[in-house]
Amino acid sequence: MTATAGRRLPAFDIATFFRRNSRRIIAPVVALFIALVIWQIFSSVTQSLPGPIQVIQETWDPWIICPFFVGDESFGLNGLQGGDVGLGWQTIASLIRVAIGYSLASIIGIIVGVIIGISPLLYQAVDPMFQVLRTVPPLAWLPIALAIFKDSGPAGIFIIFVTAIWPIIYNTAVGVQQMPQDYKNVAKVLRLSGKEYFFSILLPSIVPYMFTGLKLGIGLAWLAIVAAEMLRGDTGIGFYIWNAYNSGALSEVILALVYIGLVGFMLDKLVGFAATLVSSDK
Amino acid sequence: MAFLEVDHVDRVFPLPNGAKYIALSNIELKIQRGEFISLIGHSGCGKSTLLNMIAGLDRPTAGGIVLEGRQATRPGPDRMVVFQNYSLLPWLTVRQNISLAVDKVLSTLPKGERRGIVEHHIDMVGLRNAADKKPKELSGGMKQRVAIARALAIRPKVLLLDEPFGALDALTRGNLQEQLMAICEESQMTCVMVTHDVDEALLLSDRVVMMTNGPEAHIGQILEVPIPRPRRRMEVVNHPSYYALRSEIVYFLNQQKREKKRKSVQKVAIARHGLEKINLEIGFVPLTDCAPLVVAKEKGFFARHGLEEVNLSREPSWKAIAEGVATKRLDGAMMVAGMPLAMTLGFGNKVPLPMTTAIVLSRNGNAITLDDRLYEAGVQNLDDLKAAIDCTPDKVHTLGVVHSTSMHNLMLRYWLATSSIDPDQDVSLAVIPPAQMVANLIANNIDGYCAGEPWNSRAVYENLGFVIATDLDIWPGHPEKVLGVREEWANEYPETHLALVKALLEACEYCDDRRNREEILELLCQPQYVGSAPEYTRPGFIDPYTCVHGEEPRILLRFNQFYVDQTNCPRQTESLWILTQLARWGITPFPRNWIEVLERTHRLDIYREATRQLGLPTAEPDRDPFQLFDGKIFNPDDPIGYLNSFEIHRPLKIEEIILDAIEKATP
Repeated sequence: MTATAGRRLPAFDIATFFRRNSRRIIAPVVALFIALVIWQIFSSVTQSLPGPIQVIQETWDPWIICPFFVGDESFGLNGLQGGDVGLGWQTIASLIRVAIGYSLASIIGIIVGVIIGISPLLYQAVDPMFQVLRTVPPLAWLPIALAIFKDSGPAGIFIIFVTAIWPIIYNTAVGVQQMPQDYKNVAKVLRLSGKEYFFSILLPSIVPYMFTGLKLGIGLAWLAIVAAEMLRGDTGIGFYIWNAYNSGALSEVILALVYIGLVGFMLDKLVGFAATLVSSDK
Repeated sequence: MAFLEVDHVDRVFPLPNGAKYIALSNIELKIQRGEFISLIGHSGCGKSTLLNMIAGLDRPTAGGIVLEGRQATRPGPDRMVVFQNYSLLPWLTVRQNISLAVDKVLSTLPKGERRGIVEHHIDMVGLRNAADKKPKELSGGMKQRVAIARALAIRPKVLLLDEPFGALDALTRGNLQEQLMAICEESQMTCVMVTHDVDEALLLSDRVVMMTNGPEAHIGQILEVPIPRPRRRMEVVNHPSYYALRSEIVYFLNQQKREKKRKSVQKVAIARHGLEKINLEIGFVPLTDCAPLVVAKEKGFFARHGLEEVNLSREPSWKAIAEGVATKRLDGAMMVAGMPLAMTLGFGNKVPLPMTTAIVLSRNGNAITLDDRLYEAGVQNLDDLKAAIDCTPDKVHTLGVVHSTSMHNLMLRYWLATSSIDPDQDVSLAVIPPAQMVANLIANNIDGYCAGEPWNSRAVYENLGFVIATDLDIWPGHPEKVLGVREEWANEYPETHLALVKALLEACEYCDDRRNREEILELLCQPQYVGSAPEYTRPGFIDPYTCVHGEEPRILLRFNQFYVDQTNCPRQTESLWILTQLARWGITPFPRNWIEVLERTHRLDIYREATRQLGLPTAEPDRDPFQLFDGKIFNPDDPIGYLNSFEIHRPLKIEEIILDAIEKATP
């Protein structure tokens, strides 16, 4: 099978699709249903949490049916500041922050990874330091980030950056170290220049490792953003959760959790999809 | 000047514990333009290291690689490598992989021309349909073809191949070998290939370089492959020298394997019973006339004389016997009668190695077998053969002999020459180990051979050939097999040598008692000895001898003679005849000091002492002139006159062989 044929979408036929995948669809639906039933029973017994039915009732309008509503038209999108906008907007605000921090982490992480991958000396020099820094939880960076940037916006981006960068650095470095000697020999025999070597041999050969790092990185970044926004934020989905909690709207909190889970899941798939596009040959 | 020269290269790897591992030592190899060289050896012999050094991917510790007179110190596209695991870049298509190399190396050419080169090479390896596929979509054979195309496209001066077909199935390998051969012939490319496949090396190479085991691996032997080009995979095996070359390489590799084993269990001489050494390695070749050795071992004659740990080592060829004794792997061996003499004189460009013999183990026992087709064409005797050869001038008749110094070779040549058949010009003689004669006859590689039993009777028994003459028809009672040891060994272990001769004398006596022959036959037919079927081992040894399948057998009581008629006495006059024949055919020079050579190579004193101690009759050898079947008198007092009286001979060389200088030169 060729790569092009693999990507081509077959004519979609719901009946056939369902017949083929019935088990893959029915099983999760049944599991979800059972989980909801248990939750409902649990909440009706303890009375501390709203049950699923109650959550849907309380958040149906406007949160579920209209994710992009704006509470106060006169504020426009600035209404974000007050939290009186749809969950879609809040998510987008978080995503923008993640995009900036993650992009920075990717660029710098890959560069640093390649450098320490090429030089065993540098790798040995920085490895202990990076190993220690790597284990620091995202939230522990917050005070430092605030002290540096004096503002929650850049601070949030910094936390994302500092959380996502380690797996990117390490996986890239491993990719460089694991590069088969054969490729290097080909480059040597052909006498490729440094630039030619970097772009036509080194970079393509580490793509699979790089994307492993990028995939781990996006997961961590998404974990970090919620935490950062919850503590010190004025926009974003984390802020929304904290705001809703403070207003005692637990149903909204639960809805936001579902949002976060779904978005995180989709981000992961997105990076995975990008990886298959770039390195479809490995 | 050589095109590519590996100039005294050493490669030493430092070990983590500070010691050094000498992988390669003093590799010296000159390669001509357009030559195809194979490097063959066991794994770990450093053949890939050598290839990498030629490529410049590894640096020699000492010495250098010289390409067209200039030292090559770093890798470059003039020495392109086809790596073992293809080394294609997986993210590029077939075309892109080739283009990457072409665009870089031939960057001076215009773009269109470069494109043309890429497309030409894609077509050349037949990958037009896969040009846009990536390596993971290709089979192993296709990947290797891409790698070859990539290498050839940049027009290297030298193509280096590291086990290029190792991972491929047999069919793909065969096809690729032929393709590579065609491409190399077309472009006159110089190639160096690492391989462990003997047939591949023979098919592709002009020369096969055989490497010894590491550490300190070096070139053990270089074998020329004289098979004419263009070669075809299915046809090279029919070339008369193919199996001889093949067995040469296989023998080398096996010997290296044994050497490795021997190094791990270094044997020490065990002295006991007043003997200096009772653990002996004695070499033999699977033939009926190895019977005295087998009997001495199995019937306890060795043990009776204190030699409690004698191991009989079954050797694949006479060459292996000669090398085994020369390299001290074997203490002694059953040898063809001319071998100790020729080794002492240094035949085959080897350093002369003084050898000695104190006992003849057998006389007679050989025959000349010809292909059945010659019988059907009416060949019944030597004159018919001469006529058959004369009337088919286009066909080269190839005859097999077992070793250039064996009686088979000398007597076959003598026999042919009496009928004015020049054994080097009218026919072609090929050296083939005895056990492989029948197989070569079946494959039509040879038209006949002179060998010991049971290999003649086997051809007769299987109706493949017929015996045109036995040695009873040529020289009845000639010395055939002797016990050969190094002179140095005989001087170092005199009591052991004497005990060995005594044990073998008794064994020979036992062998010639015809009541014991059935029992000996059973011993010989065991797989660790000759391992042949009794049906075709019996003729001559026990039963009457059948010369032609279906004809009345002849009663030849002296066909295998082990004891009677002073069989065991090493007579100098007979050896002198051998010396004349070795010189006649240019195998060794004739020693001007032949008396000294004969005295040194024949330990009559030990033979006399052995017979005296055993109470056997000792008869002094006579010095009378004798004659072979043609009636030509050999006078042992005038060997040079005898030598000069032959019409057919090679240029004669008469030299003084200084044996003491040899001794000093080889401490």
